[in-house]
Amino acid sequence: MSFRQKLLLLFAATVLLCVAVMSASVYSTIRRSFEQADQVRAQAVAAQFQSEFQRRGSEVARKVESVAASEAVQRIALDMNRGATDAGEYVGDAHTLAGQQQLDFLELVDSRGVILSSAQWQAKFGYPEAALPEGRLSEAKTPADVGMAGSFLKREELPNGATLGLFAVRVARVGEQPLYVIGGERLDQGFLSTLDIPAGTRVLLYQNLAAEWNPRTLLDLNGPAAGADKIAPLVAHARDTLQESQGVINWTSDSADAEVFHAIPLTGPNLNSASLNSATPISPNRQLLGVLLVGSSRRPLIELQRRILSTAMLVGGMGILAAVLASLWFAARVTRPVVSLAEAARRVAAGDLGAKVDVESSDELGELAASFNRMTEDLAQQKDRTLQSERVAAWRELARRLAHELKNPLFPLQVTVENLMRAKQKSPEMFEEVFHEGTATLLAEIDNLKTIVGRFSEFSKMPQPQRRPTHVNDVVRSVLRVFQAQLQEKNHIAVRTELADPLPEISADSDLLHRALQNLVLNAIDAMPQGGELTIRTAAIAHGVEVSVADTGSGLTPEECERLFTPYYTTKQHGTGLGLAIVQSVVSDHGGKISVASTPEKGTTFRIELPCDFSAHSASLR
Amino acid sequence: MRRIAYLFLAAISLLGASGSRATAATRPHYGGTLRVMMQSAPDALTLPANATPADYWDLARTLSLVGDTLVSLDAQGRPQPTLAVAWQSDPSTRRWQLTLRRGVKFHDGSAASPAAVAQILGALHPAWNVRASADAISIETEPATPSLLAELALPRNLILKRNTNGIPIGTGLFLVADWQPAKLLKLAANEDSWEGRPFVDAVEIEFGKSLHDQAIALELDKTDLIEAAPQAATAPQGHGASSSLSLPVELLALVFSTNSKAQDPRVREALALAIDRKPIQSVLLKGAGEPAASILPNWMTGYSAVFSAQANLPRARVLLADLRQPALNTSYRLSYDPRDPQAQLIAERIALNAREVGIAVQVSLSGAEDIRLMRVVLPSPDPATSLGEAARQLGLPQSESSTPRSNSVDDLYQAERGLLAGYAVIPLFHLPVASAAGARVRGWTPGPLATWSDAGSPLSGIWLETRAEAGTR
Repeated sequence: MSFRQKLLLLFAATVLLCVAVMSASVYSTIRRSFEQADQVRAQAVAAQFQSEFQRRGSEVARKVESVAASEAVQRIALDMNRGATDAGEYVGDAHTLAGQQQLDFLELVDSRGVILSSAQWQAKFGYPEAALPEGRLSEAKTPADVGMAGSFLKREELPNGATLGLFAVRVARVGEQPLYVIGGERLDQGFLSTLDIPAGTRVLLYQNLAAEWNPRTLLDLNGPAAGADKIAPLVAHARDTLQESQGVINWTSDSADAEVFHAIPLTGPNLNSASLNSATPISPNRQLLGVLLVGSSRRPLIELQRRILSTAMLVGGMGILAAVLASLWFAARVTRPVVSLAEAARRVAAGDLGAKVDVESSDELGELAASFNRMTEDLAQQKDRTLQSERVAAWRELARRLAHELKNPLFPLQVTVENLMRAKQKSPEMFEEVFHEGTATLLAEIDNLKTIVGRFSEFSKMPQPQRRPTHVNDVVRSVLRVFQAQLQEKNHIAVRTELADPLPEISADSDLLHRALQNLVLNAIDAMPQGGELTIRTAAIAHGVEVSVADTGSGLTPEECERLFTPYYTTKQHGTGLGLAIVQSVVSDHGGKISVASTPEKGTTFRIELPCDFSAHSASLR
Repeated sequence: MRRIAYLFLAAISLLGASGSRATAATRPHYGGTLRVMMQSAPDALTLPANATPADYWDLARTLSLVGDTLVSLDAQGRPQPTLAVAWQSDPSTRRWQLTLRRGVKFHDGSAASPAAVAQILGALHPAWNVRASADAISIETEPATPSLLAELALPRNLILKRNTNGIPIGTGLFLVADWQPAKLLKLAANEDSWEGRPFVDAVEIEFGKSLHDQAIALELDKTDLIEAAPQAATAPQGHGASSSLSLPVELLALVFSTNSKAQDPRVREALALAIDRKPIQSVLLKGAGEPAASILPNWMTGYSAVFSAQANLPRARVLLADLRQPALNTSYRLSYDPRDPQAQLIAERIALNAREVGIAVQVSLSGAEDIRLMRVVLPSPDPATSLGEAARQLGLPQSESSTPRSNSVDDLYQAERGLLAGYAVIPLFHLPVASAAGARVRGWTPGPLATWSDAGSPLSGIWLETRAEAGTR
């Protein structure tokens, strides 16, 4: 990963982290705000419920008061005091009176606590009214005398089940015996509909009418609430603890549909206490009659959360983009000297020791650039010195070779001339014979000198390849034909050819290739004076062909392999050391490469790889 | 055994006599239209097998104006000749022969010959083998039918033909002049009736009128003959109106449905013991009806006191104490006929009684019912016939043990015990049926069996007082 990429990543990560931290902080703050708002709303609804409860309680008390003061009730009270006991006469009276006052519940109870007439359960006549405390009933003049002033929440049994009601008690006293009037209104969805519920909030009422959870008594504004079972745990907690509790109800897989519910226990009068007054339905240490559930939709919170998330993603994305641009600018500014240094280093590595880096600053990078420039200058100077040394060494080697090559024929020349001179002086009779022998020797050695000079001249005049489409296999066969006679004479050398067919054409100079292969074959033959096997293979390789020439001779040492292509280096007694240098030159001029692999006492193999598209290769080289 | 019934009948007769104010000074005369109101609103002039008691009595009374049965039963259950003048059976009571009255004609002029009567009866009872001879019909039944005459006296065996519109054509005092389904039926006097022409020229029956509307109409002299609530019939009538209360001819009972949650007989017995019938009778029924624990009323059998109708709460609680928790925690749904104005209150009272011993009963018209408060008709003074009819209406399975082998009291008692075994049904009350007539109605002698007449054809003796006559009174 480049330095620039690292910088980019660092910038992006920093921006993302900042956005994430900021978003989390905002979300947390908003969530707390919403929870506080929920709490406030629930308390407001509970307060409103309590207020409505008291208002409706007062209204019920007023209606019950009206019933108690009505002529019909006064007449019944009078009948009671006269000792009338036929309850059948009054069975429908409570129903009629309740209808007049729009009360859902109304019961007329005599001084013994026995129901004379019931509106909500007309058949209940003759049964005792459980809400009235036993004793003291006959002496009571006001509801307070039996501890039933005000209004209270009460469970009311009905023929088709039970329900909750808001009740009030009044006493109609005409004579000695009081007549109790107990009236009330249902506490159900109708009551809930009178509450002014804030938007996004709804109120449910669970009527705790049975020992077990009953989903049908969980009411909303329209009756039994849907999905009641999901609320059951919250209600159960309120029932168990008589304490307010809170919970989140997920209605669907979409969290925006969830609601936060506050469960507020509603209690009735403590039947064990002396007083049945109940100024408030929300009071601990009383009988639990219902649970008020105030639900707030989480949709605004979730939607805001989603907006925050999308904004954070947008800001994050823009931050990343800005980070990319900034990092590009910054990295470009910061890494420009580094890039220049890297480029200069690549040029130096490619051999351009003149590469320089601009020193634009005086910081560490500027110092590094100056050091680099000094280093390249030193390297260039060192290279020049090395080249001069090598050039001198080459000249010395050339001189040594020339001296060596020329010394060999010069010595016979000198001896022959001295012999001729000695023969002229000491035995003129044999001079003629010596002369003929000496001139022959002189001519032979002079030819030898010419050959040496010719070879050097030839090496110095290596022509540029004339490239044409060439079949390598044809060149190989041509070379083998040249050596056919020689190999037949040395029948102890076996020739094996493994020529790939088809083999792609290459762009090459067939004459130069012929010459190079001829040298390799000749070397192989020379390497096997005791006989062996000469193998020539051709094969297609990627983007070119490969030619290998292998012998089974004595092989070469690793040191010999290293110096093998050095001009004038030879392992042969009479070699010039130019053969393989010529081969390397030809191969190099064709854009190929040559390698040697040799195992002592097993043989040597030369491999030449030649590209098909010579021009392209040479272009790439340029 | 039937002494109590005779005493009751005597009282009813006195009541009827007091209601009939025909004096020597006002003699019967022809003319006028008798206006009648009824609760039911039938779409057709037929008597369905599953008719409610109100519909049953209304249609039975209406159709009996148009047609006649072969025989009729008096209050003592004795057969009286109607279209048949004589009858006999073989000792096995499988084969009966009834000699028909001669010269009787249907309203369309065709003769009510033995062949015509046999055809009608055969269609009504495919299981019977009904054959006609010169002046009689023979009926063969399998199994033995000792109560065949009581069966033939039931309104469903009225000898009626029907025209293409389904209008009944009979041999009765009146013939159908106009029929507006569920609204109005106009009947015209049958000049050729074998009983002789009725005094009134026509009868107009308005259907679908509530008891309350009927009472007001009678008070305002807009009708002449109405049905009445039994408790209203016992109250003094004003404006010269008269009323009639029948013998108890209906049974109010609780019936457990076949898939009721209350399958344990102990729960059923506990419920039966929990019900306090007295307050229901005195307050909700206003004194009408008799608390009952038997299917058949005492006036029919004389033994109903054997079945105790007393509440016994301690015993009920003991029975429930032996039950396991699930049965105790179950809430049983009690339904009732919403058309019955008294049924709801009675059901609610029963629910209260049940809760008093710890049985949770909810009164509801929705959902699957466990218990049903039913009112069924006891259509015949013949106890065996009424027992069978009651069992059919209550949906009780009739086995050999619950079918009387003969008309003897012992067999009847055993059959009734068989039906009541297991408490599949809890009898509550035997109820009478009441009627009331307006001030201008004369000659009205209502029978004790919820019919409009205690002898002869219904309304045959009724005549209407004119305004002038009323003025001289």
